[in-house]
This record gives sequence, structure tokens and C-alpha cells, in this order.
Amino acid sequence: MTGSEAPLVELTGVAKSYREGDRERVVFRDARLAVAPGEWLFLVGRSGSGKSTLLNLVGGLDLPDAGTVAVQGMPINRLSERERTLFRRRHVGFVFQLYNLIPTLTVGENLLLPLELSGQLDQQGRERARYLLEEVGLSDRFSSYPDRLSGGEQQRVAVARALVHRPELLLADEPTGNLDAETSRQVLDLFERLIRPSGATMILVTHSMETVRLADRVVTVREGRLTEMTAGVGP
Amino acid sequence: MILWRAAARHLLRHPWQTVLAVLGVALGVAVVTAVDLANETARRAFTSAAQAVAGKATHQVVAGPAGIPEELYRSLRLSGIRECAPMLTAPVQTAAPPYRTLQLVGIDPFAEAPVRSYTGHFSGPLLETLVAQQGSCLLLQSTAAALRLRPGQPFTVESGGRRVLLTLAGYLDPPDAVTRLGLDSVLVVDIATAQEVLSQEGRLTRIDLVLPEGEAGARELAALEKLLPRGTSVVSAGARAGALDRMTRAFRLNLTALSLLALVVGMFLIYNTMTFSVITRRSTIGMLRALGVTRREVCAGVLGEAFLLGSAGTVAGLLLGSLLARELTRLVTRTINDLYFTLQVTGVHLYPETVLKGVLLGVGATLAAALPPALEATGAPPRAAMARSDIEETRRRLVPWAALAGALLMAAGGGLFFVSSAGITGGFAALFAVIIGYALTVPGAVLVLSRLFRPLLGLWLGVIGKMAARGVVVSLSRTGVAAAALVVAVSATIGVGIMVGSFRDTVQQWLGSWLRADVYLRVADRGNARLRPVLDPGLVRRVAAAPGAAGYTLSRRVSVEGAEGATEIFSLQMPKSTFIGYRFKEGDPEAAWGPFSRGEAVVVSEPYAYRHHLTVGRRLTLATAHGPRSFGVAGVFYDYGTDAGIVMMSRGAYLANWDDPGVDGMSFYARPGVSPGELVAQLRRLAGSAEVFVISNAELRRATVQVFDRTFAITGVLRLLTLVVACIGILAALMALQVERARELAVMRALGLTPAQVWGTVIGETALIGILSGILSVPLGIIQALVLIYVVNLRSFGWTMELSIDPLLVLQSVALALVAAVLGGIYPSLRIARSLPALALKEE
Repeated sequence: MTGSEAPLVELTGVAKSYREGDRERVVFRDARLAVAPGEWLFLVGRSGSGKSTLLNLVGGLDLPDAGTVAVQGMPINRLSERERTLFRRRHVGFVFQLYNLIPTLTVGENLLLPLELSGQLDQQGRERARYLLEEVGLSDRFSSYPDRLSGGEQQRVAVARALVHRPELLLADEPTGNLDAETSRQVLDLFERLIRPSGATMILVTHSMETVRLADRVVTVREGRLTEMTAGVGP
Repeated sequence: MILWRAAARHLLRHPWQTVLAVLGVALGVAVVTAVDLANETARRAFTSAAQAVAGKATHQVVAGPAGIPEELYRSLRLSGIRECAPMLTAPVQTAAPPYRTLQLVGIDPFAEAPVRSYTGHFSGPLLETLVAQQGSCLLLQSTAAALRLRPGQPFTVESGGRRVLLTLAGYLDPPDAVTRLGLDSVLVVDIATAQEVLSQEGRLTRIDLVLPEGEAGARELAALEKLLPRGTSVVSAGARAGALDRMTRAFRLNLTALSLLALVVGMFLIYNTMTFSVITRRSTIGMLRALGVTRREVCAGVLGEAFLLGSAGTVAGLLLGSLLARELTRLVTRTINDLYFTLQVTGVHLYPETVLKGVLLGVGATLAAALPPALEATGAPPRAAMARSDIEETRRRLVPWAALAGALLMAAGGGLFFVSSAGITGGFAALFAVIIGYALTVPGAVLVLSRLFRPLLGLWLGVIGKMAARGVVVSLSRTGVAAAALVVAVSATIGVGIMVGSFRDTVQQWLGSWLRADVYLRVADRGNARLRPVLDPGLVRRVAAAPGAAGYTLSRRVSVEGAEGATEIFSLQMPKSTFIGYRFKEGDPEAAWGPFSRGEAVVVSEPYAYRHHLTVGRRLTLATAHGPRSFGVAGVFYDYGTDAGIVMMSRGAYLANWDDPGVDGMSFYARPGVSPGELVAQLRRLAGSAEVFVISNAELRRATVQVFDRTFAITGVLRLLTLVVACIGILAALMALQVERARELAVMRALGLTPAQVWGTVIGETALIGILSGILSVPLGIIQALVLIYVVNLRSFGWTMELSIDPLLVLQSVALALVAAVLGGIYPSLRIARSLPALALKEE
């Protein structure tokens, strides 16, 4: 975390566990984390260590059992379901491992959807969608359905969709986990080219050494604890 | 807007499911609309006919079967009552094709104007012809055209076995469309002509009166009552029409209820379709939620989709319903003609109320059925990839709770059955509670039964069989709903089937005890009315002496008007052996015979006792020719001839109280050694040229059962439609289930399953759902039959029926569930077996 600037994301005393049949599986006991505005924080750790859960908590997709999750100073776990959803649609962008494009919408419509939801679907918004699609090299696929695209192409659309409404916070869950080395490089290049200049904060979950090199800071998730590592060092 | 596009494309991407869902709603709406239109058309035709004939009359002077003496009309007019008009009316049949029953209405054209509007339009020459020329008559121009008649043309009508020549003098000119509708089957003649045609010289059916409202009217009424001789009474015109309306209400309500049953089945299928639509898109909904779509927006999306499906289904249903209504109206009218009164319906119109009802039901039911899945969709956590096992686990955890809720709902429904004050509506509410309660327990039962079936299927089909059984359990969120929908649909057809079968068996048993003579004789006419014209006394004497007859009975069936409407009296001169052969519900025939034969007591039919709250030992007052007289009730007997009920009395008692020596039916017992056929031939010979209808016991039973089958033809049609709705729903559900599994099946293909093995897995699974649903639908079907028999029919008609379950019907229904389920699996299994696994794996 840099300087004395107020963190964009702050987790204090967060606890979270899940029921699995009759057993209770504890993911976090007392997790603490602060991410500065514009910072790129990468989460690494073994499968099932709780990386995606942390991302879901920050995105307001899940609620902690205890503690506070604050984004832009707003304790989002105290917001109602509706307020969390409205907060998410305005301030957060998601990139998933499995792309998760809406299958019944064309590539273009997938990009326009966040704009429509956040009330930015005007001429400027449409131009931005076109611009981003051009940036990810898919301007000719505006009217194609996602199932016509390769995995790499789908993920590039997903990156464009996550950025189209200019969110302050970007959450990416293993964005290159499903892609080959060359395609992964293309996607990471996109991150550098499109997200860095926007000044957006990003929390990214990854297993990939190559990806970790882009991080400002790396945090390991292990047995419910968050441990900070030096940037550029693998898990 | 983009969200809506996503939902609309989902519908377009699954065209079969969308079409089947729309069809499900359409058929549900069509059945309800058609029944409603048929009922409404028949009711309106009856009301407008009654109004057109009664006109502005507020009261009617009525009397027993012998009618009113003409002099009474004259004395009423002389006493200062000016606004009154006499009428003699009865049904007659045209003697040449196209055979048609018309209501002959004899009027006094000069007295009509203040009472009836259509007669005020007679032109001078027409009036003169009608009065001056005996045998001249008037018809609507459209009716005349249907009968191929022109003014001045003679034609023959039949009444009481006699043929009379009439001449069409001109056309009736109704002032409005409603009156026109009411006059469709009316043949207007002068009262003198009517008396001649009906052989009722000097008699009137009734006198219509227009009495002022308020105190003046009450004074006139009191004065009038003093003038009336014994045996005649004055009743309000509204009360009389109301009684006729009440008579058919139970019949119409039953049809409406059956059509609602089809709608409930349809609703279940819509629920099924929408649940599938939501479950299969859970991950998409999760993605949308992650992107910031609120719960409310998701819920609105699902409901919007349901609205689209419901609206499309409703429009199609209304169109289909109005087409279907033509056929149903014919069936309803035929039943009303068989059971109640003569009615002719020429056209079916789409009434605004019916359209509104159809829209409310179609769109409303679809939205109501889609609400649980819509709420379920909002519960989808905003995580893009929620584990399928989580959904299934959540569902399985709900199974015991659903079963408990179902049991409680069934118990509540069961409790409501015993509240007799809840009436027919309460009976149906209870029935629907039981159906929904039972449906809630189905997923649990499927879980248990699939586990039981698994080893069996394993033994039979090996690993494929085990996979099929396992597939049903692990996809309980889908299979449970599909099975519940299938159970509701199939059980409805079992329930209605058992009810009609039980009724039919009961009627056949009853006919065995009711029709005890060998041969029956009555006047031949083409009408179906229960009340027949009297036989010629000379003919009665001739046939009574038939050498082949060991004995005979004389009967007369009449309708006696009272303040509460008409009561049908069946009087019979019969030996004791016949009387004690009747099946009694209450009272002892041996003990009842004494007071019955002496004319001190009567016996009443079960529906009559039910409607009038009569039991053995209570008394019943009838309007006789000598004024009101009270009779003891000596017994309650089973009778399924009419749901209005009848009062049976000895012929001696009838003659003493109504001074009507007429006989309208005779029955004969053959001497030993004389066959019924020989006796029929003897009687026909003795009858000579008289137009009589002689029929043997066996033939009469057959004819009666035919009438029964005609009456229930409409129930059969409704059952068939429910079945079609059910089949479509099953197809939709199972196709959706298997199409959703395309990816899983492609994985199986990739792992090395042959197309035939994939086919086996899919068909095995759908067949298991079919057979389990078939088995589970039997108890619910029997419960529905019990409710229809012991609650709904008893409360509607007062009839006791004996439950009889035809095993073939039950087997047929189980087989139907199986066949429909297998059919539902064919398309997706073929699709998967034929397509390349790689393609399916690539698809979402």
C-alpha cells in the first residue's frame, strides 16, 4: 500500500465459513487487507484456499460472517442486497476464469449491458464500447454470439465488458487460467494497455508466475490468513 | 432493454419448449373458454327465450297438469285486471325433415300488447289471418328459412302422437336482438289453434299478468288471489325463471369445475416450464447478478417472460376456445334438452366477460405459476459458477419440508371435505388443496422410489440402468417438478374417468331395480322431454287386455308448479312386488307400501330429499287441484333420472288430488312362456294406427344408458383435453430436462458411450420418471374420484354413487404416463446420438 492515501478497499476482521454437509469449513478467521487506489493487488494460493471467496466478498457477491468489507470507505457488507447490487453495477468490473459472457446476447450487447445497467448507454457509451472492442482486436465480431468465439477471444470481450463502464475497481478471478501461454500474454497485455492508464484498482486471483510479474503487491492466502509477499515473487 | 433481449432470445433459442409452453397455456384457456361460452350461450338462450315468451309479465297464474280453465281468464278480465294475457304452450315437432322441436305458443293477439313486445308489431292483416284462419301460425323469418317454409305454405307438426296441419301466415317481427334470439324456436298461433293442436280444448297453461309495483301491486295481488279457484296459484315470473336457472346451475357448475381442473393441470405445466427455464439459466442469472442486475430486475425478467408466454397462449386459447365452444355448445344443449327443457342454440358469440375471464385466467395463471420460479431466480446468488451440486443439495434439503407442507395442505383439504356448509365451491377448494398438497410430496416419493428401483434397473440394464436411476435422483430439482406435473395431469384423467365409470355402473344397477317390467309403452314423439303427452283412453283399454300380458302398470308424470318452482310428480298404479323391488336409501319398502298405496304418503327420490331437506317421517306440501295438501314421506329411493328430483305417489292418490285421469306410460309383465319380443308385437298390433312407442326392457335400458353416455360425452371431451394438455406438458418437461443435459451426455459420448447407450440412458431415465409418476398418480386419481363422487356430485345433485374402479382405466393411465415420458425422451436422445460430441461440448 502506498503512502497515507485512504485505501480503496479495506477488510477488517473478516471471518467467513461454509457448511459442507454436516461440517463447517472455515475460510477466513480474522482477515485484514487494504488496497490503495490505483494499486494492483494479486492474490495467490492453493486451490480452495479462499482466494475467490475474498474476491466475492470485495465485490459484494458474498457476505462475511463477521468483520467489515469497505470499498471507497463504504462498508458494503452493511448495505442491503439491492444497494450492494447498485454499488456493484456502478463501481465494480468483473473478469472471470470461464469468461461468463451472456450466451443469449451478442458480443456488442454483452458490452452494452453494463452501460445500460449503470445508465450510461448514450452515444458516448456506444462509442466507448466500439473503441474497446477495437482495442481488444474484435471490432468485426460486434454482432457475433459468444459461442462463435474462441476462448481467448471470449476472454478479451470479457475484459472489454469489465472496463466499459469505467469502474474504479476491477476484480479478476484467474483471467488467464483457461488460456494458453500466447493468448494469456495477449490478455495481460490488454490489462496493461487498457487498465493501467485508467488508474483503476485491480484485485486479481492467479496461479500464473507470468501474471504475478504485473502486480504492485502480492498477497498469499493460506489457511485463512493473508500474508504479504514482495512484488514480482511467485507463490 | 438489452436484458429483455436476452430473455426473448432464450425463448427463441428453445423454440420447442416455447411452443409447447404456449400450447399448454392455450389449451388450458381454450377448455375454460369453451365451457364458459357453451354454458353462457345455453344460459342466455334460455333466459332470452323465457323473457321473450313471458314478456313484461310480473306474475303468472299457474295450475297443475290439467292446466287452467279458460273461464278463469275471462273472469279475471271482467274483474278489472286488464293487463293480462292467456297462454297455452307445449313443445311440438315438425313431422318432415329437417325435424325440429318448436315451442308452440298459443296467444290471444288482442290481449298481448301490454304484456309482450313482439306481438305489438302485428300488422292488421296478419292479426286477422292469425285469429280468423284456424291453423295459421307465425315464425321468425330465419326459423322459417331453416325449415324451408314460405308464407302461405302448409306444414305438419306432431304432438302427442297426433299430426296437425298448420299454415305459415307470416313472420314474427321482434323489436330487438335479444327477443329475436329468444323467439328462435317459437311457433306462435292463436289460442284456439293451440288448443286444437295440443288437444286441450278450453284449457290454458298459464295467464301472464303485469301488476304494478309497490302497494298497489300488493293490493291487486291480494284481490287476485281471492278470485283464484282451488288448484291454481299466482307466482312471480322471476321466481319461476329463477327455479329453472337453479335447476341447470349445478350441471353448469360441474362443467366449469372440470374445465378449471384442466386449467390447474395447465398451470402446473406452466410452473414446470418456467421452473425449468429458470433452473437451466441459473448460471446466466448469476452472471447478470454479478454484473449488477438487481433481484427485482431478475424477477421482473422472469415474470415478463411468463407474461409473453401467457399472452401468446391466451390469444391462441381464446381462438381455439371459441372454435371448440361450437361443439361443446351442441353437447351442452343436447344434455339440457335431454335432462331439463327444450332449447335451441343457433350461434356462439365471444362474450366480453368470457374473453376477460380467459385473459385473467391465461395471463393470471401463467404469472401465478411463474411466481415461485421467479422468486427462486432472485435467490440465485450473484456468483457466476454456482456448483450444480449445491442446487441439488438445497433442493434435497427442501424435500422433507415440502412433503410436510404437502401433508398439512392435504390434511387441511381433507378437513374441508367434512364441512358440508362449504358447498360445492368448498368441495372444489378442498380438492385443489389436496392436489397441490399431494404434488408437494411427489419429489420425496420419487427420491425413495428411484432408490428402490435402482437395483432392479441395474439387474435389467446393467450400468446404463443404474445411471438412469441415478440420473433421476441427482437431477431432483428437475425430475421432481416434472414428475409432480405429470402426476397432477394423469391423476386428473384417472379421477374423472373413475367418477364417470362409477356413475355409469350405478345408473346401470339402478336401471335393473327401476325397470322391472318386460315391455314399456308411451306416445311416440321425437322430443326428448321428460313429460309426455297422454295416451288415448281407448288405446289404454285395448292394450291392457293384451293376452300375453300377466299384468300391467299405469303411470303419469306431471310437473306441478309451486312457489319454489316446479315439482315432478310420478304417479304409478303398480303391484306391491314392483314397489318393494325399488332400492330405498331411507325407509323400509315393506313398511312404506301401506301408507303409499292408501295415498297417505309419498316416496321421494334422493336428489329431491337432498334439495328439500326431507327425511322419512317429515311432511311435504304439494299444490293439488284442491289446494295445498300435505303428504307424509314414507321413503327415499335411489333415482338417477333427473337431478331436480321426483315425488312418487300411488295413482289413486294422484287421481284423488289432481282429477287428471290421463295415462302417459304403461308397462307390461309378460305371461310365462311369452317372450318380450312377442309381447311387443302383440301390443303393436293392438295399438293399431295409434302412434305409440313400444320398447322392451332391454332396449329401454340400452336407450337410457345411451342418454347417459350422451350426457357425459362432454365430460369425456374435457377428460381428453386434459389428457392432451398433460401430454404436451410431459413432452415439454422431459425434452427440456434432456436438452439441458446435452453437455453431460456429450461427455458420456466422449468417454466412449455408443449412441445406443446414450439413447438407453435417456430413455431409461424418462421411462423411470414416467412409470414412477404413473404409479404415484393412481392414489391421487382415486382421491379425486372419491371427492368428485362423495362431495362434489353429492353436493351438486344429491346423488349417491357407488365407487367402482376399472383396473383397465388405471392401467391405461399409467401406460399413458410411461408412453408420454418415453416420447419426451426420444427427441433429445436422438439429437445427442446423432450429433458430434465435440459440438455439444462446445455449446454452453
